[in-house]
Amino acid sequence: MKKPDLFNEELLYECYQCARCTGSCPAAFAVEGFNPRNILLTYLRLGVEAVITDEKLWCCTTCHVCEDRCPQLIDVADLLCSLMNEAAKKGHIPEKVRSSAETILHTGRALLVSKRVETIREKLGLKPLPEVPVEEVEGILEKTGLAAVIG
Amino acid sequence: MGRKAKAEKEGKKNPAIPAGNSPRIGVYVCHCGRNIDGSLDCEDVARFASSLDGVVLANDSMYTCSDSGQEQIKADIKEHKLNRVVVASCTPRLHEPTFRAACVEAGLNPYLFEMANIREHCSWVHLHDREGATEKAKDLVKMSVARARLLEPQIETEVPITPRALVVGGGVAGIQAALDLADAGYKVYLVEKEASIGGRMAQIDKTFPTMDCSICILAPKMSEVGRHPNIELMTLSEVESVDGYIGNFQVKVKKKPRYVTDDCTYCGDCIKDCPQHMPNEFDCGLSTRRGIYSPFAQAVPATYLIDMDSCMNKHGIVACDRCYQLCEHKCIDFSQKEEILDLEVGTIIVCTGSDVYDPTSLTELGYRRFPNVITSLEFERLINAGGPTGGDLIRPSDKKIPKSVGFLQCIGSRSKRSNPYCSNICCMNTIKDALLIREHWPDTKIYVFYMDIRAFGKGFEDLLMRARREGVIFIRGIPGEILQDDRTHSLKLIGENTLLSKLYEYEADMVILSVGIEPRKDSAVVKRLLSLPSMADGFFMEAHPKLRPVDTPTGGIFLAGCAEGPKDIKDSVTQASAAASRANILMSKGKVTVEAITSRIDPDLCTGCGLCARVCPYGAIQVDEEAKTATVVEAACTGCGTCGPECNFGAVTMRHFEDHQILSQIDALAESEADCKILAFCCNWCSYAGADFSGVSRIQYPAEVRIVRTMCSGRVDPKFVEHAFARGIAAVLVSGCHIGDCHYINANRQTEKRVQRLWKKMARLGLNKDRLRLAWISAAEGLRFSQEIRAMKGIVDQITPEEIEKGVEAFAPKQPKGERSDEETRPVQ
Repeated sequence: MKKPDLFNEELLYECYQCARCTGSCPAAFAVEGFNPRNILLTYLRLGVEAVITDEKLWCCTTCHVCEDRCPQLIDVADLLCSLMNEAAKKGHIPEKVRSSAETILHTGRALLVSKRVETIREKLGLKPLPEVPVEEVEGILEKTGLAAVIG
Repeated sequence: MGRKAKAEKEGKKNPAIPAGNSPRIGVYVCHCGRNIDGSLDCEDVARFASSLDGVVLANDSMYTCSDSGQEQIKADIKEHKLNRVVVASCTPRLHEPTFRAACVEAGLNPYLFEMANIREHCSWVHLHDREGATEKAKDLVKMSVARARLLEPQIETEVPITPRALVVGGGVAGIQAALDLADAGYKVYLVEKEASIGGRMAQIDKTFPTMDCSICILAPKMSEVGRHPNIELMTLSEVESVDGYIGNFQVKVKKKPRYVTDDCTYCGDCIKDCPQHMPNEFDCGLSTRRGIYSPFAQAVPATYLIDMDSCMNKHGIVACDRCYQLCEHKCIDFSQKEEILDLEVGTIIVCTGSDVYDPTSLTELGYRRFPNVITSLEFERLINAGGPTGGDLIRPSDKKIPKSVGFLQCIGSRSKRSNPYCSNICCMNTIKDALLIREHWPDTKIYVFYMDIRAFGKGFEDLLMRARREGVIFIRGIPGEILQDDRTHSLKLIGENTLLSKLYEYEADMVILSVGIEPRKDSAVVKRLLSLPSMADGFFMEAHPKLRPVDTPTGGIFLAGCAEGPKDIKDSVTQASAAASRANILMSKGKVTVEAITSRIDPDLCTGCGLCARVCPYGAIQVDEEAKTATVVEAACTGCGTCGPECNFGAVTMRHFEDHQILSQIDALAESEADCKILAFCCNWCSYAGADFSGVSRIQYPAEVRIVRTMCSGRVDPKFVEHAFARGIAAVLVSGCHIGDCHYINANRQTEKRVQRLWKKMARLGLNKDRLRLAWISAAEGLRFSQEIRAMKGIVDQITPEEIEKGVEAFAPKQPKGERSDEETRPVQ
């Protein structure tokens, strides 16, 4: 795995599995089976492949509370981020994530704006939503590599 | 009077074989099993040594420190008429005494022995650089041989040991140490900062693994201290200053007034009308006490005291005398004053004990936010029959007995957010506490949230199994967060059971944070007063972690209890008895020999300028203004050598660390490839030990460094540094104890000044001043030492031949060359 300088790999070996990360994780309580501690351990013992194929990896919202509470100062959220990047590069992107990314890529918005929204805005006296410079957004995402990853 | 004549006059304690006109040196290169031989070629080093000037024989052997190794040295001294011995093996801090003793047995003065440290400073730190390590070992041997050639026999003096001891801290360790020494017949001063002795053990309810009542087993010992004819107990007292040296310490103790005389019968009438209410410190603030109070029922001395911070009478104005009116025996005396007591003691035992970790900063646990989250020490007071609730475990929020209790382990321990070490006692303490709850309120649900349970002691595993059998629920996984129901004040613990990989939510009426142990907050003061080294975590450092576990590096000062590291009562008592026994050995001998490394002043050369006297940290140099000479008071001199560099007339001789001996080491290392080498001056107590620690920890660093040991960094004469640059050495490190931690009070301040002067001089001469580095490295900072060397290696790699040449020219000796080299290879007397 190509590691951006997000987290210190050596620190991972200092994890003693106290599970404070999972215990602090809002996503873990929302999604059964998502478990940062377990992901870290699986990555260490079974390698990247064992982790990136599991779609639950993508449940991390990068709120970083786990890092706040980790007694060993391990960059748990940054590890998850790097793993998600790796998964994306190998094509393991959950369908919902991919379609969201595509929406952003092609419309410059995370959500499509429906006709109904526009009518409501008009009723409330709000200005119509500004135009998105789609080409510029595409250019940026091209450069960041996102476009290639979701290809 | 010549040095030799003086030595003869002082009597011959050590056999002083005349060194002879020419040195006959024996060199022994030790393999130390595979410890040295594994990463360098010992045979090659020995072969190299035999080619050195003055070396008569050079051998390599498996274990030079073994009986046969020592016998060989003794036999060789006799057979080959050796008058110098060099052993290349481990650190002199380990085996120098061993080999010196062997030399003495063979009739050689111990000061004619020299050691080259090729293990801690070479083989262990260059594990993967066999060639570099072998070259370095050769250099180190060459330096030692050069120094050995110039060594001179020395006569050691004996100093008497005052048969009295000072024990600092009156917890269970201090109590045990004081009783042991007092029973052995020595006068003991026991200094305790609080109003009563007893320490942490007096606060806790039961002890593990036997479930004995803590105060019931401690109280008899406390009262024994109180009435022992040999113990002078000083409570409300603190050590103010410590001067002197092994066997002869002068200690000042500040004794705060109790405002209650010793006639107090402990009847308790006085407190009834006291209008002032304060949080009771002994009960961790869970109860209140009056302005006049006794910390707890079994307190020793059993007299009340007035806390002037809470009393209404201040600055000599008596605004309230209710206690005085109620006291039948008229024991209350508002006029008592603070006293300073002067003590003369031979030995000191430091038992400054521990504090508990304050978990307030771990906000997710809610300590101090949620009333029912308490620490394990607060729990001890709650469940203690002598505590604020009379032994009823009740919730602070509603005074009801909790139906479910959760213990959280490793709070403030094993974490980079708090203390990185394991606090040793918390696992067993929790198991004991869980069983206590089980005993009194069998229906309580008890959860223990843990990462690892460490039940390593005698009887510990049995207690753990008993807890499991009795239904204490152990859950692996520390909760990530504690939430409170604001209506009921009950708590919800959320986290993950790692063995099931399942999330949990447990309800608990009360949560007990099993907090870790820290050094007592004011132990830093004691550390400074006694110049003791401590680890990064603040616990005092032993002279040797395995073989001298209760000695400090300072002679005559010993450690016991949690001051040295977190430990339980049994270990504290064991250590206290050990420390008492070590002190007893010194005091029963009645005298101790001090190393013959003190300074001497040649009256013929001295002009009485007094510069040396001004830098002596011990005031050991007296200047006679009329006779225009200075003299050294030998008993007060500790041999730091700070005076030496100060003398402009060459009148000061630092015995065994003489100028020409150190210069010869520098010359030896500069003989080949000087332009890529680093010369490091390390002080015996901190930075040399730090370099040793680097070796013991196998922390690797570049092999270009060569260490020269001095007793103190204050010995490092600027002319040594200049000499090194004049010989083309690439870089010089001057290292010592951290400022404030100097083993010789403040001698390293002089080091700092001298290095700064050198930097200025180098800048003036247009030299790269990065070539001279100053670093403070403690005995525990092995990693720091390696980092310094690595940083210097980076600098050395940048240095151009022109820069080296510039240094050589700038510092080249001004006198004609021939004269100088004569002086350096001055024949041995």
